[in-house]
Amino acid sequence: MALTGRAALLAVAGALVVLAAPAPAVAFWLVLGVIVLAVGVDLALAGSVRALRFERSDDQRVRLGETAEITLLVANPGRRRVRGLLRDAWPPSTRPAPREHALDVPAGERRRVTTTLRPLRRGDFTAAAVTVRALGPLGVAARQGSHQVGGRVRVLPPFLSRRHLPGKLARLRAIEGLNPVQIRGQGTEFDSLREYVVGDDVRSIDWRATARRADVVVRTWRPERDRRVLIVLDTGRTSAGRVGVDPASGDPSGWPRLDWGMDAALLLAALCARAGDRVDFLAYDRAVRAQVSGGGRGDLLPGLVTAMAPLEPELVEADAHGMVAAVLARARRRCLVVVLTDLNATALDEGLLPVLPQLSARHLVLLAAVADPRVAALAAGRDGAAEVFEAAAAERQRVERRQVTARLRRHGVEVVDALPGDLASALADAYLNLKAAGRL
Amino acid sequence: MTSVTPTITERWRSWRGVLGALAAIVLAATAIVLFSGTRNGGRLDVEATTPQGARALAELLRAQGVEVNQVTTFDDAIEQAEGSLLVVARPEFLVDAARLAELAGRPGPRLLIAPTEPVLRALAPGVTARPGSTETVREPGCGLKAAVLAGNALVGGSSFTDATCYGGTVGVVGDATLVGSGSFLTNGRLPENGNAALAMNLAGAHQRVTWFAPRAPLGTPEGGQKSIAELIPANVGWFVWALVVAVLLTALWRGRRLGPVVEERLPVVVRAAETVEGRGRLYRARAARDRAALALREAALARTTPRLGLTATAGENEIVTAVAARTGQDGGRVREILYGGVPAGDAALVALARDLDTIERQVRDS
Repeated sequence: MALTGRAALLAVAGALVVLAAPAPAVAFWLVLGVIVLAVGVDLALAGSVRALRFERSDDQRVRLGETAEITLLVANPGRRRVRGLLRDAWPPSTRPAPREHALDVPAGERRRVTTTLRPLRRGDFTAAAVTVRALGPLGVAARQGSHQVGGRVRVLPPFLSRRHLPGKLARLRAIEGLNPVQIRGQGTEFDSLREYVVGDDVRSIDWRATARRADVVVRTWRPERDRRVLIVLDTGRTSAGRVGVDPASGDPSGWPRLDWGMDAALLLAALCARAGDRVDFLAYDRAVRAQVSGGGRGDLLPGLVTAMAPLEPELVEADAHGMVAAVLARARRRCLVVVLTDLNATALDEGLLPVLPQLSARHLVLLAAVADPRVAALAAGRDGAAEVFEAAAAERQRVERRQVTARLRRHGVEVVDALPGDLASALADAYLNLKAAGRL
Repeated sequence: MTSVTPTITERWRSWRGVLGALAAIVLAATAIVLFSGTRNGGRLDVEATTPQGARALAELLRAQGVEVNQVTTFDDAIEQAEGSLLVVARPEFLVDAARLAELAGRPGPRLLIAPTEPVLRALAPGVTARPGSTETVREPGCGLKAAVLAGNALVGGSSFTDATCYGGTVGVVGDATLVGSGSFLTNGRLPENGNAALAMNLAGAHQRVTWFAPRAPLGTPEGGQKSIAELIPANVGWFVWALVVAVLLTALWRGRRLGPVVEERLPVVVRAAETVEGRGRLYRARAARDRAALALREAALARTTPRLGLTATAGENEIVTAVAARTGQDGGRVREILYGGVPAGDAALVALARDLDTIERQVRDS
């Protein structure tokens, strides 16, 4: 049960009556009796909350930064009207609005209640409980009860870097020699031959075709297709560190490295799929957290975002041995292994570096890491002794980062180290460069 | 989809254990209080077994065949005073002058323990009290038989005119026996020195003792002034109770949540730059200027040498010469900045950082 403001108001009015009454003791007990009676009547005549039936729309998926409309169908099979408040409770991170709905369901009818969620972070969210407060006819007291109604919202990574996709695809087409600008009119005879333009490699001129025609004609090579790309996302402790500014909420405490890595991985996967390469995905810290095998090309991205959505940074040291073993088990043919992790000197020294030769001997390894703009800002601090000491610490970290990058490159590993906003674009460029160079 | 609010039956089932335990605790506490030996009570109460009570004296008197009746109201005292020794144990509670006069009208012996001014005026007229000697063990020092037989006793408090024993604190004036303080009658002090003997001699002189020990003030002081509590109309009291009910209902109204608190497992929030900031503070705390300067110099060199067209293997002299040539600064000073010693203080470190910035900028811009 629950009381309303009217019950308190009734008591205050009763107190004034007691103050004025000639027989205060009698008046007091009378007032108390009236309140108890009103509460009893309301409780007895309020609609039954326990009998209510609820139905919810199916599980929803929403991209981070967008809103989800959750519909709840309330059916009242009881004999009395249910009038009052309803709260559809969701975890606070989903910011449900409005907090409570006014509800009025006549007997035997159904009503629809819509709650809007604006999630603050990625992941799976389960509805907590539906609580209904059914007021009595006097509005003094109400019956209250909660129901467990299923319902889940999966908040997907926002894939903010998709705005880079058209530009990268244009570059991809240029590499493949399919750029529409360079194709002559529709009646082109030869698919794989085209007119020479300034800048083409003279070695690619097809002299036989040139001899047949007035123009100089070059032979274009399509880059190799059906290569395999394995994207490995490190979900260990280093992925929990927050970098930059949270693009979804503008929170200056930043976005985890894991989320920046996902953003870059999604752009890379989209690009690879268009380039005709096969993409596999693996999230690993001390065990496989998620994996996607690039089956059908069309549903690669939906599969990826679904697999990424529930990932959280695990506060454990990543197991590099296990990761390499998992990669080797999945990639039998030579492929491009893209590892999204942090260039942390100590973590790499003890983790990945000793086992990297096993990987780089059989595969092409590309290591991508997000750099912290805060470190650059700290390194420029000159205002006082405290700032200069912090600048020295920042410089020390940047030196270590450069050293570990150099060591990785000596192992034959490609390294992409970019600021949070540029990582996706830089990683895509690195992939395109490898593709253009035919190193895949 | 199921209701998660328990029914009345389920609620009773889950709470009955707690309610049962509470009831058992209350019952046990009541039983212990009812059947235990100790009796609480006020000072000099013949029922009280506390150190301040007078149960021991009463029992001793009863063993000697003396009938001891405790009364707590004027009516009982006036009714029973006749033919017995009236012991006024709590004179501070006797404030009603009219009733005191009525009591004084009944003839008979009295034992006044630490009497107040109104009590003295009514029951021992003509005697005045002088306040304030400390309670100590004193010698009788007089001819009163009861005192001489008892010997040393713990007395003190007020002393009275016409009282001769124990330095004026105990004396007999007419029907009234005056005692400056009642400590020697209490359970706690009775066994010491001659306290018990003095108490028995004073209180046991008669076959009946009416022990007048009220537990609360009786009547109002003279002048008939009413206390504040009596001046407030009865309505206000009930009004306050009604307000209490209103506050309670308001608390219940505001305190009831619409549904339970929703829990959520939140991710950790740790800024990646925290390790760098922490290391910076550590440098500062340990005044590690050598390491800080080394880090700053290394970083500046790593950025400057490629701009000078030098490789990473270039030696100190080569770099200093190249920098001096590019920037136009003095070679010795450039060497001091790039390869000098540890800065002497924090100010020197800041200056070094700025000098390195200057060299870097000059190399970049030239």
